[in-house]
Amino acid sequence: MASDRSNEADYVRPVRRLVIGVLALALLALFLLWRIDSPRVERFRTAVVDAVVPNMDWAMAPITRTARMIEDFRSYTRIYEQNQELRRELQQMRAWREAALQLEQRNAQLLDMARVRLDPQLTHVTGVVMADAGSPFRQSVLLNVGARDGIIDGWAVMDGLGLAGRIAGVGDRSARVILLTDSNSRVPVLVQPNATTALLSGDNSPAPVLEFVANPEALRPGDRVVSASDGGVFPPGLLVGEVVLGADGRLRVRLAADYGRLDFLRVLRSRPAERIEQSGSLLRPVAADGTPLDPATGAPLPIPLPDVVADPVVPAVEAVPAPGAQSTDGPPNE
Amino acid sequence: MNEVWRPDSLAHLALWLAISAGLILLHLLPLGSARGDWPMPDFLLALTLAWVLRRPVHLPAPAIAVVFLAEDLFLMRPPGLWALAVLLGSEFLRRRQSVVRELNLMLEWAMVAGVLTAMVLGTRLVRAIVMLPNDPLHLSFLALAVTILSYPLVVWVLQGVLRVRKPATGEVDELGRRL
Repeated sequence: MASDRSNEADYVRPVRRLVIGVLALALLALFLLWRIDSPRVERFRTAVVDAVVPNMDWAMAPITRTARMIEDFRSYTRIYEQNQELRRELQQMRAWREAALQLEQRNAQLLDMARVRLDPQLTHVTGVVMADAGSPFRQSVLLNVGARDGIIDGWAVMDGLGLAGRIAGVGDRSARVILLTDSNSRVPVLVQPNATTALLSGDNSPAPVLEFVANPEALRPGDRVVSASDGGVFPPGLLVGEVVLGADGRLRVRLAADYGRLDFLRVLRSRPAERIEQSGSLLRPVAADGTPLDPATGAPLPIPLPDVVADPVVPAVEAVPAPGAQSTDGPPNE
Repeated sequence: MNEVWRPDSLAHLALWLAISAGLILLHLLPLGSARGDWPMPDFLLALTLAWVLRRPVHLPAPAIAVVFLAEDLFLMRPPGLWALAVLLGSEFLRRRQSVVRELNLMLEWAMVAGVLTAMVLGTRLVRAIVMLPNDPLHLSFLALAVTILSYPLVVWVLQGVLRVRKPATGEVDELGRRL
């Protein structure tokens, strides 16, 4: 057109120059305005984008969908190697999951041993398992605590969660623990919801058998089994496990203690069971200072009865198991 | 500028606007993985310059300014600066349309490459003057090189597919005037 002036009127050229000059100035002004007052122009930009881009959904969606489909189709062609890759990753993840579970259990165990007190008077000594019997299911383990640490034969041994066994044989610096699964182990237990008493006897299988159940029809698989203080062997109320119905139809106990990983065990310092010799004052009201009151008048009785309990707080270390308990329920294999 | 309002010119303008919208939209699509570190050629710019060199009547300057301003806005560039550069570059080429009409593709290509380089350098200069952070030098020159390399392809598409050619000698418009 520039070559062919005949097509253009005379006024066209200056007008075009003017238009272009105005356009250029406007663009430059917009740019400078943006440089000086950026937020305002950016708001304008946001408004423009907001107004336009969502309305382009109808155009964008099909294109995007098509592109994704092409991408997906491409991935189909290498689905086999992808599958292999996923399998490998899954395998690795399984290993990690196992490791995480083990760490979690161990952590819970350690935390538990560090902090939990079942009973303020029930202190414990924590020992490390030095050796075990080596059979597929260890029936006895050796702890690195002994008479030096005040361990006494017959005390209960727990891992973080549940009852694991019982001290049977104390050396100076070590002690042997008969586990509940040992065929020589007999422990009185209580099945909880209805307080059925039974005897837990090990038979070298992972789940010891419940014997001498008072009323077997009252038991259900899943019932909680805790230790009983019958015979003064164990402190009452320690978690043992839960009732399961064995494959042979006998009632067994799945132990709460993790027998697969006996690393740290704690030995509970048992106190001798308090013996109640006089029943009279049990039902009698007592004042805060211990003086018996007359149930009818509420006045202190003139002649106090002899105290029943000698001293409720016995230093735990000096505690000696009741002689009866020792004789009736010593280590069975010794 | 009456030629702009003829149906043929308006149809071509609409076509160019549609292509511009499509190319800008393509930039906005969430297909980030398609683009690697190798920059995409600026097809819209190459197309516009080639088109202006062939049929300047189809692309009036205000349309170019508006489209590239919209591109600035959508692609989060400083609004107005690149549009200004494109406007000036396209006007420079529009003035020389009668010269380019006689040139073959190689010389036209060289000319367009010079204009593009001048645009990029000018933009960088302005950004430096107003103390805006510039793109890394090698990246902007890589983009420039890619755009320049894509120019023959764009010309081929423009002439072969869109049928926008340089006016042949003695070609007349529908009113019988020589182009």
